[in-house]
Amino acid sequence: MAATADIAQANTQAAQTAERWRAVRYLFLIFLGFWLLFTLFPLYFMAITAFKSAAETNLTQPTFWPQEWFPENFVGVFAEPTNFSALVDSFIIATGNTLLSLLLGSLAGYAFARFPRQAGGENMAFWMLSNRMFPPVAILVPMFFLFDNTPWGTDSHISLIILYLVFNLPLATWLMMVFFRDVPHELEEAAYLDGWKPLRAFVKVTLPLVLPGMISVAMLCWIFAWNEYLFANLFVGSDVRTYTIVIPTFTHGSQTLWNLQMAFSLIAMIPPVVLFIVLRRYMVRGLSLGVVKG
Amino acid sequence: MARVTLADVNKIYGTGTRAVHAVQDLDLTINDGEFVALLGPSGCGKTSTLRMIVGLESVTSGRIRFDGQDVTHLEPQQRNVAMAFETYALYPNFTIEENLTFPLEVQGVPPKERRRRAHQVAEMLRITPVLKEKPPGLSGGQQQRVSLGRALIREPAVFILDEVMSHLDAHLKFQMLFDLKRLHRDLKRTMIYVTHDQVEALALADRIAVMSNAKLQQVGGRAALYNRPANAFVADFIGEPPTNFFTARPLQENGSLTMQVDNSTLRFQLSSEAQAAVNATGGERFIVGLRPQNLTLDPNRGDPNRGRLKAAIAINEYLGERSILTLESGKARFRALVPPETAAGQRDIIDLFYDPTRVMIFDAETEDLIV
Repeated sequence: MAATADIAQANTQAAQTAERWRAVRYLFLIFLGFWLLFTLFPLYFMAITAFKSAAETNLTQPTFWPQEWFPENFVGVFAEPTNFSALVDSFIIATGNTLLSLLLGSLAGYAFARFPRQAGGENMAFWMLSNRMFPPVAILVPMFFLFDNTPWGTDSHISLIILYLVFNLPLATWLMMVFFRDVPHELEEAAYLDGWKPLRAFVKVTLPLVLPGMISVAMLCWIFAWNEYLFANLFVGSDVRTYTIVIPTFTHGSQTLWNLQMAFSLIAMIPPVVLFIVLRRYMVRGLSLGVVKG
Repeated sequence: MARVTLADVNKIYGTGTRAVHAVQDLDLTINDGEFVALLGPSGCGKTSTLRMIVGLESVTSGRIRFDGQDVTHLEPQQRNVAMAFETYALYPNFTIEENLTFPLEVQGVPPKERRRRAHQVAEMLRITPVLKEKPPGLSGGQQQRVSLGRALIREPAVFILDEVMSHLDAHLKFQMLFDLKRLHRDLKRTMIYVTHDQVEALALADRIAVMSNAKLQQVGGRAALYNRPANAFVADFIGEPPTNFFTARPLQENGSLTMQVDNSTLRFQLSSEAQAAVNATGGERFIVGLRPQNLTLDPNRGDPNRGRLKAAIAINEYLGERSILTLESGKARFRALVPPETAAGQRDIIDLFYDPTRVMIFDAETEDLIV
């Protein structure tokens, strides 16, 4: 029968397709495995270097497991007492900048989402985002002179908190705009008709819906500010020091103390990693950009 | 509860050459406790009108009054209006009970009383079992009832329903029509129902305000809109299938005036009242309207003065409880509603009969009803 033959052929084809997909899946897994090795190796090498002696880090034949464990490195990095306060300074700057970015970015994002025409339209919003695209080094020197003329100078928390807005505010504005757009305007209108004043309606109705998005924006801003080196290196250094500019100071004469650098880096990694673990539930929901669809 | 008056209301979006006149010189009074439908095709200005009534849109000129009190420039919060949205607009992160009590929370009603009233409203709308759930888990019909409940839980001066049934299937729609009619009868609130569906409007409303092209075309009850439409638009929009229109010129025949349809052999007889009215205008061009329901295949029913049309069948649509014939005569095309057992086939030439008093004559320029 022709029909049976057809079905048999279709079955074979289906089996072949399934086979092919399985092969693709394995290839993909192998690729992911390599990718994982590639990205994790530097972290691994950083971690073991942090436990090596200075001498071992200078061997021409690198070791992939410490010959001798040196946990003292983690005490050594704080021999200079200001090193700990550098972590505190970084924390103050990153947190201050994040809060300010969120506040201003939410307001601007809300305006772009709800009153696009009055706020200057899509072009204006995109122009803001494009501010993130130029090479930061292009404005390094002008910014230095600009901040040098402010009452608080360059060497202060406030200078970096404000300066990092250049990078974080466009990002926060754009992302918050997308999140606010996802919340139907009708929800706010319904709240107005239910008798709620605009600000309270915003806090009660809109804010909870964009909160996951807001938390992921906060994470992105915080990590950028925490890790920033280029501007910090030029701007601060005596009254205020960020941890990023402390790392290159671990040298001994002409010798780089890799073990101390790596130990300090490992310590500096702890806050973002902890933040990420605590907030990852929100991160995933926020970054998938589908806050209230359902 | 309130009587709503719109006096000479205009809404213009934008400025200069890009200005859009969305609502033009609207005068409308909705009496206390009345159920009025605002009916019109999309883009006719009905949504702008209702948004101005509730205060979500500013009024360009004119006045809106509730019970004589000017509310034109009041914020929505100060107007005590309730609205059920087309998209339901339920707060997705609140439970149904929290959704229902949200308007009471801002009024400072104590939690116990809030809960009592939520249960009362839920009872009325048959949503008690879902009170603890969140909106995304509900069916469309349930979400719709929650949105009605949120509007009903306080005592609004005006209750507005914006296209509330456009996302419901036919069965649910029928149920909702019944529920709404019952709610209105029990609560006796002033209700404004906005829709583009004439069936909903005709089924629910005491009076219907028909809008088109930013203007109010006609306000009236079912019979008035159906039998005496103010203009060709209303005649076209109300009734299913829509009214047949023909462009025609007056013709004297055996001492009486008839209407000769352009590019066709069709000729309409007019009632004596219509003849007098047409003569009085002295016009050369008219639009003749006749509803498909007013055409019949039965020559013996009614009086001997009935008019007759001869035309060929182009399509015979069998719709179960009735059939729609599409007929052709010359360039003119029209439809007739006939019993379902009609066996006439394509290209058959048949006679159709009508009552001359049912023939509507419109001015060819303004499209206003003459008779």
